Amino acid sequence: MNDNFTNTNLLIQYLDGELDGEALKSIQEKIAANDQLAAELESLRLAKQVVKTYGLKKTIGSIHTEMMKELSARPVQHRIGIRRILQYTARIAAILIIVLGVTVLYQYFSATPEQLFRNNYETFQLHETRGGGTASVLEDPFKNGDTAAVISAFKTIDKPQPEDFFLNGLAALNLNHAPDAIHSFLALQQNNKATNTHFFEEDAEYYLGLAYLHNDEPAKALPLFEHIYADQAHTYHRKINSWFMLKLKKMARR
Amino acid sequence: METGRNLTDNELLQILRSDTVPDDAIRQLYRSQMGITKAYINQNNGSDEDAEDIFQEVILVFIELVKKDKFRGESSIATFLYAITRNTWLNELKKRGRSKLREEKFEKAKDNTEMDISHYMVNRELKTQLMRVMDSLGETCKKILLAFYYDNLAIKEILQNLQYENEQVVRNKKYKCLKQLEQMLAGQTQLAQNLKSILFYE
Repeated sequence: MNDNFTNTNLLIQYLDGELDGEALKSIQEKIAANDQLAAELESLRLAKQVVKTYGLKKTIGSIHTEMMKELSARPVQHRIGIRRILQYTARIAAILIIVLGVTVLYQYFSATPEQLFRNNYETFQLHETRGGGTASVLEDPFKNGDTAAVISAFKTIDKPQPEDFFLNGLAALNLNHAPDAIHSFLALQQNNKATNTHFFEEDAEYYLGLAYLHNDEPAKALPLFEHIYADQAHTYHRKINSWFMLKLKKMARR
Repeated sequence: METGRNLTDNELLQILRSDTVPDDAIRQLYRSQMGITKAYINQNNGSDEDAEDIFQEVILVFIELVKKDKFRGESSIATFLYAITRNTWLNELKKRGRSKLREEKFEKAKDNTEMDISHYMVNRELKTQLMRVMDSLGETCKKILLAFYYDNLAIKEILQNLQYENEQVVRNKKYKCLKQLEQMLAGQTQLAQNLKSILFYE
């Protein structure tokens, strides 16, 4: 075994970190003293680095192929994802439309005059007298919500005024006495007709229609609500919509 | 390497500094950076193939820089990789002589780079020559040298994997192979000189 082999072997061992103690010290001294050895060490160090770089490049190369497949497949997965989301959305929308349709049909066929009444009836708020000249004695009990007192007081009035008929009709409707309410609202309308006046005209028309519904007489309620629905300037026009009219017409045909 | 979640920059750097580079670390770099590289190169007169070639080299340079402690997380990994990519690609365009405008952009880009990484550019031609030298070494030598210096296997493990008679035979073989490679490089002075400058990043 010649000196060159021994030295190169030591240099490689030194490069690989396999030397320690005296052996390490000895080779370090040799390298420091011998330019040729130092140059050989540098060449070996480069060779070692070449191997490492080669290995890393090969590793990256093999992962590169795999990753390019994965990354090129990504947009497709993305498109599939979007398509799936759209499909699910369309299905959910279809289900919602069906549920909505069934609900609408159910409401249409199962609606009753009483339901229409309940959905639209609101207690009349008497803020001020809209019609007649002097204030009615019924106003105070009506404002206090004492509908029974309104009816009792109405009976004591010899010559009821338009507001009396109207408040009595509302009180009767509130107490679920639909026939009495109808009677009172009709009396108001007749009074207006006879005197060629329009006291509580639109209010009476709306509440008379509701009273007919409450009394299960949709056919009689229909012309009243048709008039309100057709007249955009009517006070109660906004309370009546096409869906209400559709259901009322069906009921009126019975 | 733990999978299932993306590692933070610090975790990734720590892993890349270890003796062996886990494949998952490289995969994470691909997933997070390949798209950006491709978009940049496509926007600057490059093809998808250019982007793929450049990216492989950039990853290689990046890992080597981390291993040599030349990058310790002074910026985010993404920023650093982008800067290397930009330097490399603009230099590539310069070589291809696409346009003077590119050169101007290159100079501007260099000025705008916060870190001085202009010398951390990928030299693809030299890397190709390096691969040729290693490939000409022969399969046995490549296996032994890669097992020892890249995979960091002990002589005993190499003995088991490559089925030599004993450890001393493996040591002798490794000695001969490394010496052979060293002499091949020594025979190409200019190449050796150039490789030194790009591999040691000094």
